[in-house]
Amino acid sequence: MTLLTAAGVTKRYPAARRHPLGRRPVRTVLDAVDLAVSAGERLGIVGGSGAGKSTLLRLLLAVEAPDAGEVRFRGRLLRPAAPGRLRWFRREVQFVAQDPYAAFSPRMTVRDVVSEPLRCLRVPGDHPRRIDESLRAVQLDPALASRLPSTLSGGQRQRLALARALAPRPAVLVADEPISALDAPVRVAVLDLLREVTVATGSALVLVAHDLAAVRRACTRVVVLDQGRVVESGPVDQVFRTPRSAAARNLIEAIPRLPSGVTR
Amino acid sequence: MTGRPHRLGRVGALACAVGALTVVVAALPWLRGDDPARSVLRARLEDREIDPAALAAVRSELHLAGNPLQGAADWLIAAARGDFGTSWVAGVPVRDLLLPAAGASASLAAAASVVAVVVGVALVAPVAWALSGERRSPGRCARGVRVAGAVVAALSEVALAAALLILVGVRWRLVPVAGWFGPSYMLLPALALGVPTGGLFARLVVIAADVTAEEPWVRTWRAVGCGRITLTAGIVRRAVTVAVPQVAVLFAGLLGGAVVVEQMFAVPGLGRLSLQAALAQDLPVVQGCVLTLVLAGTAAGASGIVAQRVMLGAAGAAATLVPAAPARSLRPRRRTPLVMAAVLTAPILAGLLRDPHGVRLEQRLSVPSWAYPLGTDPVGRDVLARFGHGAVLTIGLAAAVTAAGLLVGLVVGLRGSAARVGVVDILNALPFVLIGLTIAAVLGPGLVSAAISAALVACVPIVVHTRSLAAEVRASGYHQAAVLAGAGAGWILRRHLLPAVIGPVLAYAVTRVPSTALAIAALGFLGIGAGHDTPEWGAELSVALDYLERAPTLAAAPVLGLILLGVLAGFAPAELGQRPAD
Repeated sequence: MTLLTAAGVTKRYPAARRHPLGRRPVRTVLDAVDLAVSAGERLGIVGGSGAGKSTLLRLLLAVEAPDAGEVRFRGRLLRPAAPGRLRWFRREVQFVAQDPYAAFSPRMTVRDVVSEPLRCLRVPGDHPRRIDESLRAVQLDPALASRLPSTLSGGQRQRLALARALAPRPAVLVADEPISALDAPVRVAVLDLLREVTVATGSALVLVAHDLAAVRRACTRVVVLDQGRVVESGPVDQVFRTPRSAAARNLIEAIPRLPSGVTR
Repeated sequence: MTGRPHRLGRVGALACAVGALTVVVAALPWLRGDDPARSVLRARLEDREIDPAALAAVRSELHLAGNPLQGAADWLIAAARGDFGTSWVAGVPVRDLLLPAAGASASLAAAASVVAVVVGVALVAPVAWALSGERRSPGRCARGVRVAGAVVAALSEVALAAALLILVGVRWRLVPVAGWFGPSYMLLPALALGVPTGGLFARLVVIAADVTAEEPWVRTWRAVGCGRITLTAGIVRRAVTVAVPQVAVLFAGLLGGAVVVEQMFAVPGLGRLSLQAALAQDLPVVQGCVLTLVLAGTAAGASGIVAQRVMLGAAGAAATLVPAAPARSLRPRRRTPLVMAAVLTAPILAGLLRDPHGVRLEQRLSVPSWAYPLGTDPVGRDVLARFGHGAVLTIGLAAAVTAAGLLVGLVVGLRGSAARVGVVDILNALPFVLIGLTIAAVLGPGLVSAAISAALVACVPIVVHTRSLAAEVRASGYHQAAVLAGAGAGWILRRHLLPAVIGPVLAYAVTRVPSTALAIAALGFLGIGAGHDTPEWGAELSVALDYLERAPTLAAAPVLGLILLGVLAGFAPAELGQRPAD
């Protein structure tokens, strides 16, 4: 079943004026992008800087409205609105923050962090149990619940961000570059965890990354963005093995590899 | 994920605020709540009977409109043509009073600017030199210069002007002290006005230089073997560029903030003119002065922003370079402010135990003795007692006013972008004394007027500080995460904004108490705050200056008190205003 769809979404931003009195030029950041996320699917969105990944994410999360086209969730049209009117949507689509070092209030404990979406979204049920469940699902010890996030390691914080997103049991998890602030070994662990958790809970995953290798590790399908357009999409292995677009080839070449003949 | 404020919106809001202020100024005669013609007669005739015929005569003579809207509109139209009406007291066109006064103020401001730049360069150069060096920790000399800068910046104009007047003018008789008859008359007022401004200027630039020295290009320049002089010049240039808009506002303050100095040295400038007009309730003159000063301030502020854009280019100006709020000030030894607070508190406590009102005419103007450690005033009252009770009044009022300002500051500062520009920024750029003058002109002089204007001014930096802290929270990842977790405005206010803001803002408000006390004292000195019989430092100083020749020690207590208070105000942010590292 298709959950989240974008049809022909276009977004333009005013660019900087060339001179103080001149007309403000317009930059098209997204140009007629189509996208569909089905239940349980793991979709990667990749592209270089300025490809429009973050903008697409903002549209998919109903933070901003597209200038043309539409975004729907379960067939319902999405527009930015007051928090109360989007509660139905936020319960089903949760966000995993990019920078685990900035994603938590320095004054809230781990328990407060995970309970925030439960309370704000008025999720019914036993909250303490859900908090425990979410922490266990990301392999965090529930005994950490009374600690402050600042006492956790980078990998633990990223797990906490994931636990917060999982708490309302969403149908779709949206992750924006969830590994860009982490060390290499922790990255692999977080990507594996994202994959395992979504498999276990049955929720879909939308993973935004500039790194095709990360997407390959966690996702099944990939969409390649370049200068605001979808230039390629398909199963991740197929795009990886036989890229058809220049953008995809560039992204594959950008993956660091050990030169052949080097032994550890 | 927040939208950038639209530039047209900013300019529009600023224009609206200036427009609204102009309308308020235009409506001043009607804001007092009684017939302007009656005010005119009262201003001219003092206590005599007012009959309807005289009222009608005044109305037709001054072309006073019957209602405020018509009156404000008439005044604005005339003011746009350069006609500011007729003085109610002197009966001459306001323009004829304004022009020479503006000339005197402008030359005083120019002289003070020169002083400020000299002081500023002297204070900035050693710090920048130290910053360009390889060592991470600055040397003792640079540290000393920093402390000196903080002290100079913290000097209150009232206290410095009085000290200069007493020592240089009266004691040593080096230069003339009152009047405006030649360059030598300009020296003391220019020093009194320019030195604190120079200190503030240096402080702004040093804060910017500290940030600049951390920028990567400094390391690069050093690595390629750039000379130390070149590097110092580079740091200063960039720091000045960053601080330029604030510096422009500072220099605008030289024009409008000169009321105290002009009054003390009898300089016939705009400040003195507006003060006398406010005391005489001569509203057309107040209107003309306020409008002139507001326009000059706005022009200076705008030219500062334009200058920064020209110096940085569009890309540089768009980026936020340095926090506008006093983010970091120097951290002296913890002991210094504590010692000063103790030095200040001891005589206050001693004075509180004594009687400030007992009049002993046979003991008037006596020199310090065991019985009266600070001597007696012109009617034989105990100066030490009045010092102590005055401190309670001045500082207590300042504390109350700051508490009110804290509430207003939180409410306004936590509101979103609507509060970003407008009234607050205008109030921020207006010299404090000018606001006090305007309010005194409307409500009449007194402690209530002083408290209201102090509250208006005290809440401004708190609003600005709250706003910048709240903006930091709104830009944070956890704010974004909360929004995407479905948090509403109430939740974000309760759980994220208030907890992040309340502690630092409270601490900041406490640090503002001394400077608010100084402001209240300045109004008291000018005669638009506490009455002359009230034991209040500013009022005391004003009385003491009348007896400078006969009893020079009389002024010492309030002057030293104000200087200590000012230095405390300068040190306080370092002690309390620091935000705990997250």
